[in-house]
Amino acid sequence: MFDLLPHLLNGLVLGLLLALIALGFMLIVGLMEQINLAHGSLFALGAYLALALTGPNPPLPSDLAALWLQVPLGWRYGIALIVAPCLAGIVGIAVEFCMRRTYGSDPLYGLLLTFGVALVLEEVLRLTWGTRDHVLPIPQSMSGGFIFGDLIWSTYRFYAAGMAAVVIGLVWLFIEKTPYGAMIKAGAHDSEMVRALGVNLSKLRLGVFMLGTMLAAFAGIVVAPIWGIRPHMGVDAVVPAFLIIVLGGVGSFWGAVIASLLVGLAVGVSGAYASEWSLLSMYLLLVAVVSFRARGLFGKKSMLEV
Amino acid sequence: MTGTSSDARLITPTMIAAWLVLATVPLWISKVGLYPYIGVEILIWSIYALAFNLVLGVSGLPSFGHGAFFGIGAYAFGLTQFNVAANLWVCLIGATLAGAVAGLLVGLFIAHRRGIYFALLTIAFGQIFWTISVKSHSITGGEDGLLNIVRLPVNLGVVAFDISDNDSLYYFVLAVFAVVAVVLWRLVNSPYGRLLSAIRQSEVRTAHLGYNVWLYKLSIIVISAGFSGFAGGLFAMAQRSAFPDVMNLAQSGLVVMMTLVGGGLVSFWGPVIGVIVFLTARDVIGAMTNAWMLYFGTMFVLLVLFRPDGIAGAFKLLVERWKARGATPSLSSAPRSG
Amino acid sequence: MKKNGKPGQGPSRRSILKGSLMTASLAGVGAFYGPWHHNRAYAQGKKPIKLGLTNDAGGQFGNSGQDEHRAIRMVIDEWNAKGGVLGRKIEWVTADTESSPAAGTRIAERFITREDCPILIGALHSGVANAITQVANKYGTIFLNTNSSAPSEAGENCSRIKFVWDGNGTNFSKAAVANAVKSIGKNWLLLTNDYVWGHSTAAATKALIEANGGKIIDNLLVPQNTRDFTSYLLKIQQIKPQVVGTAIAGDDNKALREQITQLKLDQAGGPAWINNQQDWPDVWGSPQSLFGVFGTTWYHKLDLPGVPEFVKKWQDANKNGPIPVPGNVSYNGYMATQELFRAIERAGSTNNIAIIKALEGHKMSAKDRMQHFDAYIDPDTHQVQQTIYLARKNEKPVDNTDHFQIMSWVEPKDALDDAAPGKCKLIPHDKVPSVDA
Repeated sequence: MFDLLPHLLNGLVLGLLLALIALGFMLIVGLMEQINLAHGSLFALGAYLALALTGPNPPLPSDLAALWLQVPLGWRYGIALIVAPCLAGIVGIAVEFCMRRTYGSDPLYGLLLTFGVALVLEEVLRLTWGTRDHVLPIPQSMSGGFIFGDLIWSTYRFYAAGMAAVVIGLVWLFIEKTPYGAMIKAGAHDSEMVRALGVNLSKLRLGVFMLGTMLAAFAGIVVAPIWGIRPHMGVDAVVPAFLIIVLGGVGSFWGAVIASLLVGLAVGVSGAYASEWSLLSMYLLLVAVVSFRARGLFGKKSMLEV
Repeated sequence: MTGTSSDARLITPTMIAAWLVLATVPLWISKVGLYPYIGVEILIWSIYALAFNLVLGVSGLPSFGHGAFFGIGAYAFGLTQFNVAANLWVCLIGATLAGAVAGLLVGLFIAHRRGIYFALLTIAFGQIFWTISVKSHSITGGEDGLLNIVRLPVNLGVVAFDISDNDSLYYFVLAVFAVVAVVLWRLVNSPYGRLLSAIRQSEVRTAHLGYNVWLYKLSIIVISAGFSGFAGGLFAMAQRSAFPDVMNLAQSGLVVMMTLVGGGLVSFWGPVIGVIVFLTARDVIGAMTNAWMLYFGTMFVLLVLFRPDGIAGAFKLLVERWKARGATPSLSSAPRSG
Repeated sequence: MKKNGKPGQGPSRRSILKGSLMTASLAGVGAFYGPWHHNRAYAQGKKPIKLGLTNDAGGQFGNSGQDEHRAIRMVIDEWNAKGGVLGRKIEWVTADTESSPAAGTRIAERFITREDCPILIGALHSGVANAITQVANKYGTIFLNTNSSAPSEAGENCSRIKFVWDGNGTNFSKAAVANAVKSIGKNWLLLTNDYVWGHSTAAATKALIEANGGKIIDNLLVPQNTRDFTSYLLKIQQIKPQVVGTAIAGDDNKALREQITQLKLDQAGGPAWINNQQDWPDVWGSPQSLFGVFGTTWYHKLDLPGVPEFVKKWQDANKNGPIPVPGNVSYNGYMATQELFRAIERAGSTNNIAIIKALEGHKMSAKDRMQHFDAYIDPDTHQVQQTIYLARKNEKPVDNTDHFQIMSWVEPKDALDDAAPGKCKLIPHDKVPSVDA
C-alpha cells in the first residue's frame, strides 16, 4: 500500500524526543528513588523561560531589552537553551531543599510534595504568562521542511532529535565516566557506603535533583516549537515519562532510552496503519511488557519496593 | 491505625457524634454560605477516600489511578440504569461490581508489585481506562458524557423515597456513608485488616510468616476498587451524568491529596477530614479567586513539609501535648507510619 | 469566617483544628475580594438580577473562557450604566469551571442554589456544557451555551432551557464543502479527532462530499491529546488526496497547525485544507500557523457598519488584556448576553418561561449583529442560525491583528444542520420548572 520506512524513521525521531522528555524524570527516580510529579511543570517552566528570553518581550529594562532584541534570533535561542534550564535548576534546588524534610520517611511524601509543587508551578505560569498559547520562535535555518524520499519532513524535528541524542549521550558519559556519576550511582544503592567514603550525600542529592530539573526544562524548550506553549502543557510530558520509566525499568538508563524508542515506534507506526490506536498503543505495549517482565525491560530491584 | 481499645467496638462514640452532626447539615448549610450539593459531594468523596485509603493508608500501596474505578462505577451506574433495570439497588450493585472487576483486572497485573512500580503502574492503568472511556463514545458518550442518568427512588419494599432533590439525596448518601464507614471500620480492625497493616510494615516479614501476601494485596485492591465504584455510582446520580474527567491523572491525584491532607496514614477518619477540608476550601477560595489552586497547592506543600501526618496527625500531636502538659516536657513528634 | 464550623466530622476538637487551617488559608487570600462584592451598594429598591458566569479559567479552555468572560462583563456594565434591565441592576458571580464537567456540575449547583442565579452564561467544552445543562434542567434555570460548538448541543443534547450561540461543525462543513468539491477536487481525506465532536463533524462533512459527487479516500482518526502529527502528515503525503478536511479541536489542533505550517504543507503542491472553526483566542497565540480554509462567525475587520465602533468599545473596556481585539468567542459571549437582556425587556419579566419564549424564534437583524445576513434563534433546536464566514490566512495584513482574510460568507439557511431538528426533542414549556429572579 505505502512505504513503511518513513514511519519507522518518524517513530525513531519521536522516540528520541520522548527519551529526552523522560531523561530528567529517569535520573531522579533512578538515582534518588523519588518520583518527581513536578516534572511536567518544570518542563513547562523551561519552555516559558525560553520564551521570555527569545520572545518579543524580554523581562528586561526597555533599553536593555532593545539591545537584547538586536542579537540575532539564533544566538538568543542558543543562549536560552543554556540559560533557561539553569534558571529552572534554581527552582529545582529550592524544591530539593524542601524535599529534604521527607528523606528517610515514606517516599510517598516526596511524591506528594512534588505533586503540590506541580499545582503551584502551573498556577504561577498561568498568572505570569496568562492562559493564552505562545509559540517559541526558532531560527529560520532550523524551521521549515526538506524533501526526502518524495516526502516533506520537518527540519526542526531532526534538529530536536539531534539535540536529544547529544544530551542523552552527554548524560550517559557523565554518569558512567565521571567520578560524580559513580558517586551518584553508589549513593542510590547504598547511602551508608557513600557516607562512609566521605561523600556528602545531601550535596549529591541536590546535584542530581538540579540536573533532573534542568533536563526537564531543556526538554521543554526543545519540544515547545512542536507542541506549543500553554500553562497545562506539562501534563502532556509527564504521562509519557511515567510510561517510559515503567516500560524501561526503574534505574536503567538504557532501559529508558530503548523504551522511548519502542514507544516512539509504536505510536508512529500505529499512527500510519491504525491511526485511532496510536496513543493507546503505548499503553498496550506497557501492559504487554509488564505482564512478562514485571520490572520492565531492564529494571532492577528498587529500594523503594521494600 | 488508631490502636486503642475502641477499635474492637462495632460503632464508636465518634461515629455516632459525627452522624448526628452530619444529619443536621441540611438544616444549616445554607446559612453558613454553602449549599446542599456540596454536602452530597463531600459525603460521596468521603466514601471514595475511605475506600481509597484501604489501599494507601491501610495496606501501604500508593495508587495513583483510583479515579478509574470511581469513573467506571459512574458509567456502570448509568449503563445499568439504561440497559438492565432502572432500580437503585441493581444500579449500585452494578457500579460496585464494575469497579471490583476493573480492580481485579488491574490487581492481577500489579498485586505482586509495591512501592514505586506499584505507583507507576497504577498511573498507567488509570490512563488506559481514561483513554478507553473517552474513545468508546458509543457506550460512554465520550467527552459529551453519559447524560440523563436519573436519581432513582430508594425502594425499601414497603416504602419508597424520592431522592431527586439535593436534601433527600443527602440523607440517602449519609445513610449509605454510615453503613460503608461501619463496614470499612470493621474490615480494618478485623484480623484481615491487621494483616494488611502487617504487609504495609513489612511485606517480606509477613510473607515469611507463611501468608499469601499476593492474595491479600489482590483482595484489598478489589475491595477498594469495588467501594470506589460504588462511590462513583452515587456520584453519577448526584451529577445526573457521567464523564471521563474524574478518571484522569490530576483527579486521581486529588483523592491522594485529600486522603493525606486529612491524615489517612495515621487515622481511619483522616480521609474524611481531608475531603471536608479540601472540598470546602476549594469552594470558598474558588469563589474568591480563579487562582485558587495556587493557594491550595501552597497549603498542601506546607502541610507535607511540616505536618506530613495531615490534620489527624496534628490533632493527635495536640492531644499528646495536652496529656503531657504538667508532666515531663514532651519531646514526642508526630507518630509516623507507612 | 462565617464558613467555620462546617460539617463537623468527628469530635469538636477536630473542627477547631480544621477551623484554624481554614483561617490560615483564608488569611492567605485576604487580599482578594469576591467578585460578588462588586458595587454591592447599588441596588436601590429593586432587587438586582444575578447572573452566574460559568467561564473556564483553567484547563484546556481557560484562555477562551476568559475571553468570553470579558465580553459578558462588558454587556453587563453597559446595561448597568444605562439603568439595568427592567430597571434592575445586573450583578454577577463567576468561578472557574476548569474545563471539567465535575466542576461544571458543582459550580452550576452553587450558582443556582446558593447564589440564586436565575440564568447561567458561558461554556466552551461540550462535557462542561452538558454537565451544567443537567443541573439547569432540574431547576429550570436558563443556560446560554455561548461557545461550545458540538453539533450535539443543538441535536440530541439540546434542552428547552439551553440556547446555543455558536455555529457548529455541521454549519461550517455545509458552508465550505460543496464549494470545495466543485472548485478544488473530488478526492478527499478526512483527519478526524477520535471523539464525539470529531465524529459528528466528519459525518456531516462526508455526507456533503458524497452528495456533491466527491469521494472519501480515507478517514484518519486521531486520538485526543495527540501532540505529534508527523505520522498522519506523512501518510497524507503518501495517499495524496486533493483536499484534506480536518475536524481536530483544542490543543491537538494548535499542535497540528504548528506542524503543518512549519512543513509548509499548506502551500503549492500539497493538498488543499478545509478546517473547521478556528477560535480567535487560539489563533492569537500563533497567528503565523494559520493554514487552509477555515470558518468563523465573526471577524473584527468585517467591512460592516458598527464593527469599528464595537472594536473600539471592546478595547476601551479591556485595556491591557491578553488579547487586543475581540474575536468570535468574545463576540458570541457579547451577543448572547445582549440578546438575553433584550429578551428580558421584551418579556417584561424575569420569569424563565417568559424569557425562553421571548428568545425562541427571535429574529436579529444583520446590522445589529454586525454580520452580513439576518440571524434567528431556531425555535426547534435553540441554536442561533447565523452567517458563516470562510476565511484563510491574510497575506496582506493592514495591522498586527489582521490575521484573517474573509473569503466568503454563507447565509444561515445554506449552513443549516437539517438533521438537528430530528434529533432535538425539547420538552413542552409547561414541563419546565418555573424560575423567577
